[in-house]
Amino acid sequence: MEKPERTITDIRKNEFPWWLVIIGVIIAVTLLLIINTPSFNDAFATMRVGILTTISITLIAYSISLVVGLIVGLGRVSSNVVAKNLSTFYIELVRGIPMLVLIFFIALVVIPAGINGVGILGEWLVDVGITNIGQALENVNIRMVSMSFRAIVALSITYGAFSAEIYRAGIQSVPAGQMEAARSQGMSYGQAMRHVILPQAIRNVLPAIGNDFIAMLKDSSLVSVLAVRDVTHLARLYAGGSFKFTEAYTTLAVLYLSMTILLSLLVKVIERKISTNDK
Amino acid sequence: MNNTRKFSLIVLVIGAFVIAACGGSAEAAEDGAMDSSEVTYVDGIPQYGCLGTAEDAIVDLECREVTFAVENAYLPFNYIEAETGLAGGWDYEVFPMICELLHCTPVFEETVWETMIQQVQEGQFDMAGDGITINEERDENGDFSIGYVNTVMRLLVNVGEDRFTSIEEFVANPDLIMGTQINTTNYETAIQYLPEERVQAFDTFPFANAALVAGDVDAVIMDEVVGLGYQGENADVLQLIGDPITSDELGFYFPEGSDLVDPVNQALQVLMENGTLNELNMKYMGPSFALTYDDVE
Repeated sequence: MEKPERTITDIRKNEFPWWLVIIGVIIAVTLLLIINTPSFNDAFATMRVGILTTISITLIAYSISLVVGLIVGLGRVSSNVVAKNLSTFYIELVRGIPMLVLIFFIALVVIPAGINGVGILGEWLVDVGITNIGQALENVNIRMVSMSFRAIVALSITYGAFSAEIYRAGIQSVPAGQMEAARSQGMSYGQAMRHVILPQAIRNVLPAIGNDFIAMLKDSSLVSVLAVRDVTHLARLYAGGSFKFTEAYTTLAVLYLSMTILLSLLVKVIERKISTNDK
Repeated sequence: MNNTRKFSLIVLVIGAFVIAACGGSAEAAEDGAMDSSEVTYVDGIPQYGCLGTAEDAIVDLECREVTFAVENAYLPFNYIEAETGLAGGWDYEVFPMICELLHCTPVFEETVWETMIQQVQEGQFDMAGDGITINEERDENGDFSIGYVNTVMRLLVNVGEDRFTSIEEFVANPDLIMGTQINTTNYETAIQYLPEERVQAFDTFPFANAALVAGDVDAVIMDEVVGLGYQGENADVLQLIGDPITSDELGFYFPEGSDLVDPVNQALQVLMENGTLNELNMKYMGPSFALTYDDVE
């Protein structure tokens, strides 16, 4: 009998997630530092207030981007010329501008202009005679649109474009025969999409959607330039006030690492569940 | 169009971008070369040779290169003038004068304020200007020169502001938000008066001022000398109000134990005694300083 080229032990050693162990050690060491060293403890105590802000901004922005992405993605694959071009225009525009630049652009240019526009619309409505709505619009001032809101808008718009492309890939990965079969059963295009194509498409791209969520968690750190008090901004404030840059940024980096590792493990679990369901 | 032509077209377009970028800095260099003292500009920052002479120097640094950190976003100390694209400000005038007295070569280095103090402490720069407030915390891991100007903090607000006239009234109205720059003594003072949620710390003061003009914040707390710069001829948009909030001295910052502290102090003394420093302080921080927020990048 031939000796197998790889023994069970070899396979176990090869597939064992050593990378996770190393990361786990880093996180554990930092945790110990946080518990035992006053400076690390201060850094973490200042930052943890921002964890909720970071996570809520990410959740809200990502949910919106999923909806936006679905609409734009459907537009992208449709045969309607207007829908197709508008969607492609949106995607190319957003993918062509770096996130930081987009955040500045939306927060300092688009939204103030929008508020002005709303005010002008209100004035016109009052002139025309529709006073109650007009007054309400006129009274809209920029303070009602917080920096967090603007940051969420920027993140949603950017990731909406990414999600749209993911949906498109998902839809196009469903065999054409599915649509033909659905239509031959008497379903309209919309019904076919809703009941046959999209469920399969979304299941195909769930891993990509999960990964994008993790990517947005990291990109949410950019909202710090708008002085939004997320975990990154608080770390910067702490470092600036105490000059303890090492403590601040080590803790911050490990904090993000912990969050993203947890999420990516969650995504893997969900992936596995979905694929076993298929069987 | 066949593939070769398409490729050539793309290369041409990219080439045009590159030439446009290079052309910009070349023009700025030519503008600067008109100056009678041999100053050339690279990316808008003046480049100097060795200044002064060994015989006239109060302390001879033997043409040593001294790196001087600036932010280029802090009126009136260091900024980039929008029209010419060249750097200007109090720092850009005083430091070459100091090197003239010490026989050294001034080298201006641009960095960001947020990390400047840390970078000086680590020795990345020989010294930093940028109107740094002298305080104990910073003195622990670095050294300060003698103070070259006294300043107080005041509030920069929109013209016609009638909801408050002082920091106390500002604190009393819970709807009001204060803006300032991150990692400044202005920020430290702001959070002494207000809960942190009412203070927004931006990367630079121009950013905070943009927020003020837009209405996102109701006041920006800053050093008066800086506020005078932003008020300047922009008196129809921004104004300084309120009594002085704190009083501090500004000084140059050095790494701990630097051997430049003493020579620079001596140079500053000379400039104080012959009235030059006072002249410059009046020029940049007095009421006649006319550069406005629109004039700088």
